[in-house]
Amino acid sequence: MAATADFKKSVENALAKPKLSEALHLFGDAYLIARENAFRGLDFDQLRTELAAIKDDVRERRKELLAQFIANAEAAGSKVFVAKDTREANDYVVNLAKQKNAGLIAKSKSMVSEEAHLNKALAAAGVRAAETDLGEWIVQLAGQRPSHLVMPAIHMFKEEVAELFSKEIGEPLEADIRTLVNAARKQLRKDYFAADIGLTGANFLVAETGGIGLVTNEGNARLCATLPKVHVVFAGIHKLVRNIEDAVKITRLLPRNATGQLLTSYVTWIRGAVPTPGNDKEQHIVLIDGGREALYESPVCRDALRCIQCGACANVCPVYQTVGGHVFGSIYISAIGIILTAFYEGLDKAKEITRACIGCRSCTAVCPANIDLEEIILHLRQQVTNEYGMGLVKNITFKAVMRNRALFHNMVKAASKLQKPVTQQKEGQPATRVIRHLPMHFMDKDLTQWRDLPAVAPRSFRDLFADIDQKIDQPRYRVGFFVGCGADFVYPEVGVSLVKVLNHLGVEVVFPNAQNCCGIPALYAGDTETGVELAKQNVKAFYEADVDYVLCVCPTCTMGVKRDFVERLVDDPIWSQRAVSLSEKTMDAAAFLENVLKASDLLTATSAARVTYHDSCHLKRGNDVWQEPRTLLQASGYQLEEMKNSDRCCGFGGTYSFLSHPQISRQIAGDKVESIMATGVKTVAMDCPGCMIMVGGSMGKADSTVRCAHTMELLAEAITGRQ
Amino acid sequence: MVGKDQVKRFTESAERVGATVAHYGTLEDAADFIARTAVGKTLVPQTALTDKFQLWSLLEAAGVEVHAGSFRDAGQLPGAGVTFCNFAMADTGTVVLDSTSEDIRLATTIPEVHFVLLDPTKILPDNLAAVDPMNRLYEGSEPRFVAYITGPSRTADIERVLTIGCHGPRQLHILLVPDVSDDLLEI
Repeated sequence: MAATADFKKSVENALAKPKLSEALHLFGDAYLIARENAFRGLDFDQLRTELAAIKDDVRERRKELLAQFIANAEAAGSKVFVAKDTREANDYVVNLAKQKNAGLIAKSKSMVSEEAHLNKALAAAGVRAAETDLGEWIVQLAGQRPSHLVMPAIHMFKEEVAELFSKEIGEPLEADIRTLVNAARKQLRKDYFAADIGLTGANFLVAETGGIGLVTNEGNARLCATLPKVHVVFAGIHKLVRNIEDAVKITRLLPRNATGQLLTSYVTWIRGAVPTPGNDKEQHIVLIDGGREALYESPVCRDALRCIQCGACANVCPVYQTVGGHVFGSIYISAIGIILTAFYEGLDKAKEITRACIGCRSCTAVCPANIDLEEIILHLRQQVTNEYGMGLVKNITFKAVMRNRALFHNMVKAASKLQKPVTQQKEGQPATRVIRHLPMHFMDKDLTQWRDLPAVAPRSFRDLFADIDQKIDQPRYRVGFFVGCGADFVYPEVGVSLVKVLNHLGVEVVFPNAQNCCGIPALYAGDTETGVELAKQNVKAFYEADVDYVLCVCPTCTMGVKRDFVERLVDDPIWSQRAVSLSEKTMDAAAFLENVLKASDLLTATSAARVTYHDSCHLKRGNDVWQEPRTLLQASGYQLEEMKNSDRCCGFGGTYSFLSHPQISRQIAGDKVESIMATGVKTVAMDCPGCMIMVGGSMGKADSTVRCAHTMELLAEAITGRQ
Repeated sequence: MVGKDQVKRFTESAERVGATVAHYGTLEDAADFIARTAVGKTLVPQTALTDKFQLWSLLEAAGVEVHAGSFRDAGQLPGAGVTFCNFAMADTGTVVLDSTSEDIRLATTIPEVHFVLLDPTKILPDNLAAVDPMNRLYEGSEPRFVAYITGPSRTADIERVLTIGCHGPRQLHILLVPDVSDDLLEI
């Protein structure tokens, strides 16, 4: 379903102010370099597997660990209150403030206090909350909410900050960052000394000691915990860890993954009401459920509570970089924000941002807690669809047309004839068929304004395959070809190339005609029913074909066959068994060529053309294939020249770029075009028909002399010469 | 015995995050450096090691303006703080201070400059090696406040530009002095 008018408006507003997006892009690039340096010499995958195991054990033993934490904290003199929701938590702090006759609370950063709208609750009771984290203070003065988990004011520029600070402090300040930081240092120092209560969050609640851990850079949390007589800890129950060692292991990942630091300036471990001379120090720990217990109980979503709140899923997210955290998020932003919003604020609040995820899996790849964020978001999108529907176009397409293979394929054929008046041959590229302009307003007003659309091929792959004469005497393997809609109807030459390459290497190709769409477009739209039906059709077709391997030229189809078919058919023992067996022998064509056939030893370096390679999201992060196509291309003689951020999403995302958020897609595609053009190379290789539609279409408008080709086409051309 | 490599690694890590690290033969030499660098009131919290080495007298003799009386009366932005530390970690350049005494907390949080005296034998390889002494500090059920300090206070909250000295000390000087203490629980 297309976004609602309000959300669309907020996207348009964000896109109208490119300054923020530019800043987030610069930050994203710098982040990747800093992070890589910070992890040098460490095994990120091993560290995150270990962290996930710690967090999973904590989830299972959370009741026991919570009791242990409370007992130990109380033994050290803390008062502990467990709040079932944020309202109870706020009430506790408001009552405490009244009891202490407190007029001012100095706060260090606490995201759960944002979630609780604690400042508002305090203000209503006549208590001023002074945010002391620089970013939080800026956001507070601006009357906004954080747009990033770690850097709350990342959306603001120094001129805006200077204006806010000048007004607050009452003297004109220059828009110079050092001056502004100094002014904040002086101004906020007064608040620490004057505050009656200091409030901090907690990065860890250590069960074995009853203490908390705080990971900070500025030093404000230490001041909040030290100077006022009362220290309130405001934290979600999911911050529990078993012991100091667990917490230390988190500190090995958190700063490295958040900001590329080996460690933050301060890690502070506080247990109990630490003595203050001449005063009775009090420590109150408010532990908040607020939807976390429900999240723990959700088998599909619970991994989200492994989150250590590093914010990396935003740093690498192309959608976040395009529209910022105020659009792509609520209290919590970006990928993790989608999930937490659904559980803490309700599915209704999360429905737009759930659909705004493009599904590129860059968040999943960078997550230090090994959370498959994209998969959880997909699941939530199904819930959103169940609850709110998916819109008319998708409804008819998926439910009425795609489930019926004959009807679907006949309609595609009809479309290939109907489109004739609008297709246009591109100069110098006889084989390419593109639609440059649509004659009418069709689905969305700007479908071809910024990119060419590929036309449906006159003959589909399934028609062409019948005419291919495979002459192989003793085939090394018989492989099934799962063509996928893109290669079947739009780019049949990719399939033809694959057959050529495989035959050349002594492999026979089988094409079961009963195969249909992999169902991922339906599934991504949240239509599980159609997904199940399509999974069955395909599993049946390939089960009957009885082949050694099944190959795809579209990595999204590969993920569909390998992961989703198995999940969709898990409840039926017979279907499930067949799906697992199909999953085990399915892989991307490039992976098969290199890992099974060792094709790089067999291919001849006949081409000398320069190419650059675009990593498709689902190939690299869904199937862990990225080296193979490069190796194959180089073995065929191609000179590989890497582009910047080669594994950044091209903006396609299936129906995302047509129906859900074409404007966001457009921006993301623009970044890709820029990276490609910067290489000066005239051929871009990739392994995904979806990317070919997007990159090909966008390049077509930007520089039509750059060719987008599937790796299989380039390999076939090296074998037989380009036709 | 801590190898030279470990001291070198600690030094590099600490310097990378903006701390200074230098070797001094004696506490007197270190006091001399502090006297030349510190400006204004200097908070020197009383601990087992300051008593043992009469640090106050050493600093005063070198010309440091040691603040007498309650640290809360030293103003909101005193000049300097001088402390020992429990131990350090080479991989991140971190010093660790049991700061349960409020005076240690104040001397390391509010001044402009923080001087830390560290016996190189107390440098551990990394934070996992520090888990054991941390567990020992947290034995029993007494209130406790332990601070890991890695470089000066910093922020990148305005336009992601790294800026030193947000709410904590703007400078962190680590002074390596031998033969002070090899007890990781002692400060």
